This record gives sequence, structure tokens and C-alpha cells, in this order.
Amino acid sequence: MNNFLLCLGMGLFALVFLCLYRGIFGPGILNRIAAISAIGTKTLVILLIMGFIYNRVDMFVDISMVYALLNFIGTITAAKYLEIGGEV
Amino acid sequence: MINISDDIITRTVSRVLVPFIQIYALYVIMHGHHSPGGGFQGGVILGASFILYLITHGLEDAKKRMSELKMGLFSTFGLLIYSGIGLLCLILGGNYLDYGRLSTILKVIPAQARSLGILGVEIGVGITVMAVMFSIFFDISTGGVLPEDEEGLGTSDE
Repeated sequence: MNNFLLCLGMGLFALVFLCLYRGIFGPGILNRIAAISAIGTKTLVILLIMGFIYNRVDMFVDISMVYALLNFIGTITAAKYLEIGGEV
Repeated sequence: MINISDDIITRTVSRVLVPFIQIYALYVIMHGHHSPGGGFQGGVILGASFILYLITHGLEDAKKRMSELKMGLFSTFGLLIYSGIGLLCLILGGNYLDYGRLSTILKVIPAQARSLGILGVEIGVGITVMAVMFSIFFDISTGGVLPEDEEGLGTSDE
């Protein structure tokens, strides 16, 4: 079970780099915002997998909830900045 | 100037989400010594809930709930709790923030007095961080010009 979770986490870790490519070179600001949001979601799942590996899910659930929350607020803020006519 | 959002999805989701975020922030503050978190982290989450409300419901509506004056009062009030507990320990004959000395006032054993003392300090830190977080965001979003000044000068361009 531990090996399976480790492989799952490493697979997600590799996928973060694909999102990071879109975040750095992505055409336009909207692709970048979506990429950063997707990286946040993947980080959340990686944190939960780490919790299962270390047998401390109760702690890592707290951290990942805060991460999801701040990720959501960050995305909303970036979208609002575009809406009121910020520089792209 | 941030106005109310036109999108009904953003408004409804944030209105449903804000109370849960605040309850979670209180949990992080109260449960800081058993799980990750504490005063600063809980205060940041509490401030983030107000920032989410400001973004989705606009500056005018957020000002009714949390004005700049209230935020200034809250930030100093939290600092007062923190330094008050510290000075109380100093008056009772210990070091600054030596919570064990509070056992004579609270009438509990010193170990429990330490737990209660650190909880009080964390509540103070949480209130201050919440107020300062929101205050910084408030100042940045208004661009340094308070809305009442803008109305007085008659230069509102939105």
C-alpha cells in the first residue's frame, strides 16, 4: 500500500511540472491562472498522500484544507484583478 | 475600487463559504497546540474570509461589516491581550509570558494555567493578524484613497 501511494505521489509530482510549463510559457494570463490553480490542487492531493504515508492524516488534512482555501481565494482574486481592468 | 461581482456563482459560493472558513479559522486558533496552526495561521484564515467577502461583495458592502476604524481598534485590542497577559505574569512575580504564574488567579494547577495562558495569547495574536491582513488588503484595493475622501473631492470615476 505504501509503495502504491509513493508511486501515486511521484506521478502527481511529475504532472506538476507539466502544469508549471503551462504556467511559465502559457499564452495569455488566463492559461497561467488555470495552471497555478491546477498546481494547487495537485499539491493538496500530494499533501494528503504524504499524510497517509506518515500515518498522520489528521494533521495533513488540516494543512491541505488551508491550502485549498487559499488556492481558491487566490484564483478568485486574480480573476477579479482581470475583471476590473488590471494590466495583463 | 472593487464593486460587487456580477457573477451569481461567485457571490453565492462565497456567501455560503465565508461562515465555514471563519469556523475553521476559530478551530485552527483553538486547536493550535494539538495540530498544525496557531494564532498567526488562524488569523490569516480569518482575514482571508473577510478578503473573500470584500472581493465578491464589493468595497461598500464590506465597509459596513468591517470598517477601517474597527480594524484599527481590533489590531490594537489583540496586541493589548497579548501584552496584558505577559505583563500580568510579570506582575505576579514571574518572567514575561511565564504562564505558570497565572495559576494563582485562575485557581488551577500550573500546567493547566500554562495551557489557558497560551490560548489567550494565541487569541490575541489571531485578532491582530486578522485585522492587519484585512487592513493591508483594504488599503491596497482602495489605492491609498479612502472612499469617503473620494466622495468629498468628487473625483469618483467609476
